[in-house]
Amino acid sequence: MQGQVLFIVWRESVEALLVVGIIAAWLRAHPEAATGRKFLWAGIATGLLAAFGLGAAILGLSEYFEGDQQDYFQLTMVSLAAVLMVQMVFWMRKHGRTLKRDMENGLASHTSQANWWGMLVLVAVAIAREGSETVVFLYGLGLSQQGEHLVSFLLSALSGFGLAFATFGLLQLGGRVFSWRAFFKFTEILLLLLAGAMWVSAVEKLIALGWLPPLLDPVWNSSALLDDSGTVGSLVASLTGYRAHPAFTMVLTFALYWLGIVYGLKKASAVSRPVA
Amino acid sequence: MRSANLWGLLFMGLLIAPAYGLDEATVQLVARDGKFFPAELVAPQGRKIRIEISNEGKDPVEFESMELRKEKVLAPNSKSVVVIVPQQPGSYKFFDEFHPRTGQGVLVVK
Repeated sequence: MQGQVLFIVWRESVEALLVVGIIAAWLRAHPEAATGRKFLWAGIATGLLAAFGLGAAILGLSEYFEGDQQDYFQLTMVSLAAVLMVQMVFWMRKHGRTLKRDMENGLASHTSQANWWGMLVLVAVAIAREGSETVVFLYGLGLSQQGEHLVSFLLSALSGFGLAFATFGLLQLGGRVFSWRAFFKFTEILLLLLAGAMWVSAVEKLIALGWLPPLLDPVWNSSALLDDSGTVGSLVASLTGYRAHPAFTMVLTFALYWLGIVYGLKKASAVSRPVA
Repeated sequence: MRSANLWGLLFMGLLIAPAYGLDEATVQLVARDGKFFPAELVAPQGRKIRIEISNEGKDPVEFESMELRKEKVLAPNSKSVVVIVPQQPGSYKFFDEFHPRTGQGVLVVK
């Protein structure tokens, strides 16, 4: 039971920590982007506030959430995060090498300002999305525990957060131990995978609401290979977009997303090559 | 049920799911102390399936199903509804993400 608490807290916060951790590592490697750091903190604060607000709303206004409202919220947040995440990755890639020079020439101020706002929203949404569920989970469970149980419950919840922060620390350490180039390549893929997972999840919600046709449903069943309802499978699903019973619309979304990404990356590196 | 309500429901249905002009089949699901009652729901095929979930326990619950593509967080002592558009016959697993070990269930569509 208590080990479960630890795992659920870690699992619900790992996505947000990946986003925040990778952006923080990027900002650390680019000291010239000091403004970005302020926006990062503002995003974290906004995200935490929103997580508590949304969590409190789910707990206090449960009647309001009887229908599809939760789905609409989640759909809005996940689509917004997916768009901003891709935008952020391409921005970091494009400005990674030229930001310092652009800042010195006064070129970057306008475009970076817009980007920092996007980053703020991305960080806030990433935290609010899963954070609100953590709030509901911990509050409700905390209420139902008493005495000795409450102590061990609090300890395992704290260890869950500890584990999440260890994940965060590992990312920061990775940014220093490995060559920056290798680290950024790796984390860039993590973020793009996560964004792809968010696209799949958004389309999944659209299908579930009846707003998009599933076309062929399911295309395959790979639950014997990796069950997305299981512990490992659901983690893989939320980080990569894997599904054991995908509808054709979802497979199509996933394929188009990666085609677009590969095309975008090729184009971006073709443009930046003569500069570098 | 009063006819105004019926018309309201019908109108909502037309708005929400224009492609599916189908009858609804309602099933009840209770979550309590990390378990689902009944653990096996049965619903007819070819209809919109409306699962009315009530969390009667003291813990919060997250009803989740990868196969039905639904997730929903329920505070203690609250109710919620999950509507699923018609599926092929078969068994669809669902679980409680906040109680993954004990909270398991299956929806059988036939």
